[in-house]
Amino acid sequence: MQEFLQQVISGVASGGIFASLALALVLIYNAMGLVNFAQGEMAMMATFIAFTLITRGVSYWIAFPVTLAIAFAGGIAIQRIVIRPVERAPLLTLVIITLGLATLLNGLAGAIFGYVPRSFPSPFSVQTVDILGAFFSFRDLGVITVSAAVLLLIYLLLQRTTVGLTMRAAAHHAEASRLLGVRVSWMLALGWGLASAVGAVSGIMVAPIILLEPNMMQTIIIYAFAAAVLGGIESPLGAVIGGLIVGVTVNLAGAYLPFVGGDLQLAVALAIIIGVLVLKPNGLLGRPTVRRV
Amino acid sequence: MALLELEEVRAGYGPTSVLHGVSLAVPEGQIVSLLGANGAGKTTTLRSITGGVRWTGDIRFDGRSLRRMHTEDVVRLGIAHVPEGRGILTELTVDENLKLGSHLRRDGPAVRKDYDRVFEYFPVLRERRRLSASTLSGGEQQMLALARAFLMKPRLMLLDEPSLGLAPMIVRAIFEIIRTINGADRVAILLVEQNARLALDVSSEAYVLEVGRVAVRGASDELQGNESVRRSYLGY
Repeated sequence: MQEFLQQVISGVASGGIFASLALALVLIYNAMGLVNFAQGEMAMMATFIAFTLITRGVSYWIAFPVTLAIAFAGGIAIQRIVIRPVERAPLLTLVIITLGLATLLNGLAGAIFGYVPRSFPSPFSVQTVDILGAFFSFRDLGVITVSAAVLLLIYLLLQRTTVGLTMRAAAHHAEASRLLGVRVSWMLALGWGLASAVGAVSGIMVAPIILLEPNMMQTIIIYAFAAAVLGGIESPLGAVIGGLIVGVTVNLAGAYLPFVGGDLQLAVALAIIIGVLVLKPNGLLGRPTVRRV
Repeated sequence: MALLELEEVRAGYGPTSVLHGVSLAVPEGQIVSLLGANGAGKTTTLRSITGGVRWTGDIRFDGRSLRRMHTEDVVRLGIAHVPEGRGILTELTVDENLKLGSHLRRDGPAVRKDYDRVFEYFPVLRERRRLSASTLSGGEQQMLALARAFLMKPRLMLLDEPSLGLAPMIVRAIFEIIRTINGADRVAILLVEQNARLALDVSSEAYVLEVGRVAVRGASDELQGNESVRRSYLGY
């Protein structure tokens, strides 16, 4: 029982990481109906920035918000420079552009930082604490706390502020929003900035666990896709729930199904993607597509 | 000088031109009707004003040319456009839709008063504040669109067929409020309507469009009394 509880908590911790990246995907999907395949590489780039700051002697808890700010600005810059000129292009063009962006960022990171995996510091110790007879690592609890705080902040921003309201309006119905004075194009840029910052959180949280290198997000993004699809790709709350479910499922499968072990965890995520697409294509919280004709 | 002036406006969609030189004026505080058959260019005229379609000629609001201006900047000058189909954001709640109307205003106390007035005009919106706008009936959505436009505190409202698809009783209520908004707040209104009788009733002046040109222009009561205009253009 205790071991089960430990596995669940550790799954929730990975789930928080997946949820952050999934939320980043959902933010951009909502804004432009596009899955941003560069999201993982953007997060990886941000993590390298955090790494650079920390190795230069900046303390972790200063480097963290500074990196998020840089990621935010970088997301806006990418939208303005790369995406905006082709905003009206067919979806496939945009998808190819995000794939190109992913390759570009990956190569850039390799050229600047090299491909040797590096250990990334975690502010949380790997020691465990005994709660109700089960042992939880401070690292898992710390990751859960940070992810929860970030997700809560995003929720409050989107649901409780005027900027959040205009962002949602611009995402759902650009033309009607313009008629209400909403600067739609800037709202989309803001969406990219926000997505980039949330994604960066996932990178920084996962790097201490899987080591920092240019390809580090390539498996994480699959889990994030699974989370986003499971939650309903349009639903921010769904992304969070999806992230938690994927995290826990993958962890439990790895621990209790001998044939899965550590090697086939990614296959579990892929199975979730396929299962959702076959059984419930709109995900848990996604709205069925209804069109009036 | 009128509040809104269109001068020889030509506009269209791609290679199809819809307006072939429309000139009209909406004086400060007045209601002006824009009538005509389907496809005459009424909606395109409104869309030209708020930059939803490319146009040539000139459009001036309060003496200032709107040429090359983006929709959101035109709107920020004080023009509220209730488009064809009402422009309700159905993914959001009634309250959020209303907030989008007032989100640019900085006069807090006046905004609160205007909300009170909105709920006085449309009590049903107060009851449904927290519900998704998609749950509203057609008439309620029209009320929401009008209320939201009112909360923008515009100097000019562009209303595209507010009576479309609504029961006669609701249409009467909505037109009563259009009249009130115009009377109490001196909001000028350019009203596009299929229902010519109703439109001529509330407006002081009217234009009849025919295939992208102004075919008839005159005081509303004169057009109402002119049988040949009524028969050939207004269909009643």
